[in-house]
Amino acid sequence: MVAVAGLSAAALLAGEFHLRFLAEILIIGTAVMSLDLLVGFGGLVSLGHAALFGAAAYAAAVAAQHLGGNLLFILGTGIAMGAAVAALMGAVIVRTSSLFLLILTLLLGQIVWEIVFHWRDVTGGADGLRGLPPLSFGPWVLSSARPLFLLAGLLALAALWLAHSFVDAPLGRALIGSREQPIRMSALGYSIPRIRFLTMLVAGAIAGAAGALYPFVNLYIGPQSVHWTLSATMIIMLVIGGVGSLWGAFLGSAVYLAIQTYISAYTDRWQLFVGLIFVLTVLLLPNGLAGGLRRLASRMRRRRAQQA
Amino acid sequence: MGYAIVQVLNALSFSALLLLTALGLSVVLSLMNFINLAHGSFYLLGSYIAVFWFASGAPWWLAFPVAFLATALAGALLERFPFRGFYARTHLMQVLLTYGLSVVFADLMRWGFGAQILSPELPEPLQGVVFLLDMPFPVYRLFLIGVGFFLAGILWVLLDRTLWGAVVRASVADRGMVETLGIDTRRVLSAVLVLSAGLGGVSGALGAGMLAAYPGLDEEVLILALVTVVVGGLGTFRGTVLSALVVGFALTFSKVWFPEFANVVAFSAMAVLLLLRPAGLVAPRLRQV
Amino acid sequence: MRDDAQPRLAATRRRLLVGAGVSTLLPLARPVLSQGARPLRIGMVTSLSGPFTALGESMRAGMQLLLSQSGNSMAGRSVEFLVEDDAARPEDGVRKARKLIGQDRVDVICGVISSGVALALRDVVTEAKVPTFLLGSANDLARKAASPYIVRPTKTNWMLGHTAARWAYDKVSKARVLTVGSDYAAGREYVGDFVQTFQQLGGRLGRQLWTPLGSADFGPLLTTIASERPDMVFGFFAGSDAVRFLRQWKEYRLAGRIPLVGPGAFFDQEDVLPAVGDAALGAVNAFNQSPTAPASANFNRAYMAAGKPLPGEFSTNGYVCGQTIKAVLERVEGDLSDWEKARAALFAEPVDTAFGRIPFDPRNGQAILDIHVNEVRRSADGKMINTVVHTYESVRDPGPDA
Repeated sequence: MVAVAGLSAAALLAGEFHLRFLAEILIIGTAVMSLDLLVGFGGLVSLGHAALFGAAAYAAAVAAQHLGGNLLFILGTGIAMGAAVAALMGAVIVRTSSLFLLILTLLLGQIVWEIVFHWRDVTGGADGLRGLPPLSFGPWVLSSARPLFLLAGLLALAALWLAHSFVDAPLGRALIGSREQPIRMSALGYSIPRIRFLTMLVAGAIAGAAGALYPFVNLYIGPQSVHWTLSATMIIMLVIGGVGSLWGAFLGSAVYLAIQTYISAYTDRWQLFVGLIFVLTVLLLPNGLAGGLRRLASRMRRRRAQQA
Repeated sequence: MGYAIVQVLNALSFSALLLLTALGLSVVLSLMNFINLAHGSFYLLGSYIAVFWFASGAPWWLAFPVAFLATALAGALLERFPFRGFYARTHLMQVLLTYGLSVVFADLMRWGFGAQILSPELPEPLQGVVFLLDMPFPVYRLFLIGVGFFLAGILWVLLDRTLWGAVVRASVADRGMVETLGIDTRRVLSAVLVLSAGLGGVSGALGAGMLAAYPGLDEEVLILALVTVVVGGLGTFRGTVLSALVVGFALTFSKVWFPEFANVVAFSAMAVLLLLRPAGLVAPRLRQV
Repeated sequence: MRDDAQPRLAATRRRLLVGAGVSTLLPLARPVLSQGARPLRIGMVTSLSGPFTALGESMRAGMQLLLSQSGNSMAGRSVEFLVEDDAARPEDGVRKARKLIGQDRVDVICGVISSGVALALRDVVTEAKVPTFLLGSANDLARKAASPYIVRPTKTNWMLGHTAARWAYDKVSKARVLTVGSDYAAGREYVGDFVQTFQQLGGRLGRQLWTPLGSADFGPLLTTIASERPDMVFGFFAGSDAVRFLRQWKEYRLAGRIPLVGPGAFFDQEDVLPAVGDAALGAVNAFNQSPTAPASANFNRAYMAAGKPLPGEFSTNGYVCGQTIKAVLERVEGDLSDWEKARAALFAEPVDTAFGRIPFDPRNGQAILDIHVNEVRRSADGKMINTVVHTYESVRDPGPDA
């Protein structure tokens, strides 16, 4: 409810630049939230998440170049690509964990990056693809900031709802079990590789949907969106926002992108700010800003209860 | 023939560099089960120290002990806070804390040393070249190969063949039991971390002649070191040495045979290797429960 | 009112384009009368983090030098200078440019090092109709991606690859030329343009080697080159790759044995040469910038008086960009509201800059530059200096004809 109200208020009040910026935050936030399914619920720290997101973004951009920007078609392409790369990655990583998983996802993600970087005829190589056709939905063309923002908002809400239902479903519960007590879960007859694989698919589909919209914010897509540094940035956003809270992912990406966009105009030291905030979050707020806010809210509620 | 020999030496020298960067990381991981992603920062600090030391005119070989001591000191400070509180935490929390610190250090070093690429003027004795069947090979790289495997040997003796090494290993295996013997295990663990930081610094000083020093190098080196340690199998000393050789040869010969696709080939090879041996080349025997 | 012009309901493509044009024009239309009093806002997008940090800092320093020399005013208008970091990532660069346009309401945008960022910005500034002085050097910026709102007071990659080939064919070697390049957009363009011109002239090539961006070790590659025994090597690397390649080039004793030729960015005076000792001594490069070119003498002095080293390409670029903006403003008496007119005034007559006297090509806003052939020589005080040995005058990118 609060989220919907906030989105509609922003849509009415904000200007062109801010709407587009918010759309970017929502899209990146959606991808970060899908990473939260892996990290926060499955304990699977992936350094290859940008490969799912970026591959979907490229698939959507290339599809739009050749077949036009029909929204449903583009979303479908992105989701399919995201899920396909996730399936490949998932098939490889289901049996590993911890640092092995981190390095394997890094290697696989960088292989995707190398393909994107070298397949110049299709992807434009280092320069990326520009001048994409805008998205369209029936007779409406979604090129200006407001419709893009609303679209990103709808995507974020839908993804949040989907992620919540996934976590509450038996599969999500089993995923948490596989993180906490893998041996007990196996003894109970659960197949942990299967649980992880399905989780990868869901996360890949959500990241793919976000990736599908990403090129249309600026009608441009470049290889940085596949690179592992974006995966690392997503982890920073997730930790600042709060691992395991889902909605914290949006908070984290908003904080990170706001620092990067506003602080950097005043000082070259913006990375120092990001680093310090990150370290302080890890030291003081293990559940991120979302956890901190939740604690604050419950403390206030308790105080009110005491006063009453 | 000379060509083949020199390419093998190229691979060996790159393996030595990988080994140097991976040793410090491997030591804390194997002995303390602690993941230190700030290791790249120790490396880069060591490189900067070497660049300035070589330029200062002081005896060049002192650069390496100085880099060791300076980064060991930095490691000792970090060990007190905040590393110590994270030894018992999950790998995820260790990764997050140390990665965050590495972001902070990266920017501090850029602030202090500038964004320019700095490169040391190598001391006279290391500037030479040897010709093997008419193919040139730099003396500096022979030096790297020698020092890399020599340091690995010393470390192995220290941890595997001395009483102190036995205490370290025992502290990891059963901390309570060692404490009852009257040994302060906290100090033992601090010593290991300080040693690891110092190794990071000295490897930076040694590698500066090959990789130069600039903002962002810390991250590049960290990735190489991490891949080496992981491919080797977490926390086995033999594994790290073996893996440095495997990764070094894979990266070098993919450049020899497929220069254009060197990275894809090398990455794929390592990924396949990790698939075939999911616990690394030399897997430590771990209890499952 | 603005909403009516939004293209949301437009069913046809043409109506969409008209709608987009009107809707973006409105927020920018300002009363012309207030122009004299309002300060001129210049927004720079450049890399202050990421792989091009050092270049970005130089570019900013060059521009700041020009502004302080001009007392922070141009054509009677005071100047506000805003700098934004693009981290060499196109998505970030576009966001920063949109911020400069939408929130800070800048009158002019300038800067950019990465050609990816430059190409991504192209559509944004064109749609917003903001005069932009782009310093990236991708060929497409003067060709397919040229825009009436973009002026390019710097070289294109073609200008360097092409002239290097002419020099190499005439003076160095006509056959057995090996090329080696960093495998990304700029490397492909420099080497590709070199190869094209060199073959057109009748030259014959040896092997062509490519290596991934960001290589830690060039040993294997250099051993391959040594075993090929070419008569000349044409190469391009940038930043840390350039430093490592050149140092190892000397370590493997190729320096002095095989002539090395490249575009000037490979041997940049500020970014690369100070870090490689004498490893590049004797190498030859084609460049629009040289510290020994007479036109840049005044700039060299002023830049070094500010405590900086001998300037390289990007500090000079930043300065020249400022000189070009200043020249445009002076020709229209500080009133940029009619960009058509300002652009025509810029094209009417060459501009005196630290790159020399440069005319602009009216087809694409691309500078027509003198390209120097520099040889890296040892100066009296032992420093390595890009020294002009020849100048190809008025080199003009083929532009839309290519």
